[in-house]
Amino acid sequence: MEALRIIEDEHQSLAAILHAVRYMLKEIGQGKLQPDFRLLRAMVHYLDAYPEQRHHPKEDQYLFARLKARTNEGADAIARLEQEHAGGEARIKALEAALHQYASGDRDGFDAFGRAFENFADFYRNHMLLEEREVLPLCRKHFTEEDWEAVAAGFRDNNDPMGGTRETEDFRRIFSKLVAAAPPPIGLGGGPYEDD
Amino acid sequence: MNATAVNKVLEVRDLCVSYGKVEALHNANVSVGEGQIVTVIGPNGAGKTTMLSAIMGVLGSRGRVDFDGSVEGVPEVERMVARGMNLVPEKRELFGEMSVEDNLVLGAFQRYRMGRRDHGQTMEEVYDIFPRLKERRTQLAGTLSGGERQMLAVGRALMAKPKLLMLDEPSLGLAPLIVREIFRIIAELRRRGVSILLVEQNARAALQVADYAYVLETGEIAMEGPAHKLADDPRVIEAYLGLGGKHQDKLAH
Repeated sequence: MEALRIIEDEHQSLAAILHAVRYMLKEIGQGKLQPDFRLLRAMVHYLDAYPEQRHHPKEDQYLFARLKARTNEGADAIARLEQEHAGGEARIKALEAALHQYASGDRDGFDAFGRAFENFADFYRNHMLLEEREVLPLCRKHFTEEDWEAVAAGFRDNNDPMGGTRETEDFRRIFSKLVAAAPPPIGLGGGPYEDD
Repeated sequence: MNATAVNKVLEVRDLCVSYGKVEALHNANVSVGEGQIVTVIGPNGAGKTTMLSAIMGVLGSRGRVDFDGSVEGVPEVERMVARGMNLVPEKRELFGEMSVEDNLVLGAFQRYRMGRRDHGQTMEEVYDIFPRLKERRTQLAGTLSGGERQMLAVGRALMAKPKLLMLDEPSLGLAPLIVREIFRIIAELRRRGVSILLVEQNARAALQVADYAYVLETGEIAMEGPAHKLADDPRVIEAYLGLGGKHQDKLAH
C-alpha cells in the first residue's frame, strides 16, 4: 500500500503550498507584507505543474484504472475525479490570469486574485478529500497483492510520466526554494524569490 | 521487537519512569539500528518526551539502556553526551544572544575537548544541509524565525557528529511548508548515515520517513512494527492518521 502513502504524501505537499499562499494573501490584505510576485507565481506554477506532471497521472493511469477493473463501487466518484483532472488546465489558467492582473497593478487585482485563489483552494480541498475519504479506502478494500505490485511498479515508472521521453521538473528542489524564500513564520524568509 | 535493526545503536529494555507514585513510562522496550530512523508516535501526554529524557539520563529511570555496544544501566546525561548521544529538545534551547555560527561551534565543544579539532569541516557539512544557516551565520540566534531555529538546533546537534540523534517533536509549532522541509532534511540525514530516534505527534509525516515505529499510549508501547506496516494498520489509521482531516484543518486557517 506504499502507493496510497505516496498519494497522501503528495496531497500534503499541495496542501502546504495552498496554506502558504492563503497566509501570504491574508498578510498582504492586512498591510503587513509586500507581495513577492515571483514567489506567488512560483507557487501557482507548483500547484499547476506538480499535479499535472507527477500526481494525477499516478492516480488516473494506475490507481483508478485498476480499481475500475476490480469493482463498480465508487464509479461515480472516480468519474468525477477523472473529469476534474481533465479540467485542471482551465482552473489553473484562471488562477494565473488573476495573478497576472494583480501583478500588473489592476485596481481590483488583489481582491480578484484572492477570490480566484479561494475558488481554486476550495476545489482542491474537496478533490483531495473525495480521493482520501472515498476512493483510496476502496483501493484498500478491493486491491489484491497483485494489484498493489502492479500499481507500485507503475508508480516507479511514473517518476518520468512520459516514459523517459521528457524531463520533468525537480519538484523537491523547487519546494525547498519556495520554503527558503517564503516569509516567516510559513517559510525561512530568504526572499525575494529568484527564478532559475 | 525491532528485528529490522542491524547493529543496534540503542537498545532500551523495560524502561520505567515514575513521577512520585505515578508511573509515566512502563516497561518500554525500544531499539534503533545503525542508520535507521525509528519513530515513537502517540498522543500528547503519552510519555514520549519522558522516554527520551530517561534514555538521555536527564530523568531518573529503572530498567536498562544499552548504547553503542555497552550497557549503561541507568544512564547519566554527561556520559551519554560524551559517548555520542544527542537530544534536540522540543524547545530547541538555543543561545539567543550568540550568533548562529557560535551556536554551531558550541555543538562541537565535546569533540573539541576530546581533542578532535575537525569542527571547521563539520560546519561546512552542516551548512551544506542547511544553506539558510550559512546565509544567517552572523545573525543572533534570537532573531531567527521558528523554522530557522529548528534547523539551527538540529545543525548544532550534528556538530557533535552524534552516533544517535534524538529529535523531540521537530515539527511542533511550525507551518506545513516548513514541516515538510524539516522531514525532507530528516530523510537526507538518514541517507548520510545518521541514526535517528524521532518522537512525533505528526504521525503521518513520521511514519512516512521512518523505518520502524512504536506507538506509545499512556506510558506503554501499545503497538510496534515496520513504519509502512503501521501506516497501513486500520487501528493506526483511525487513531492517528485520520481520514483526510489534516487537509481540512490546514486549509481552514
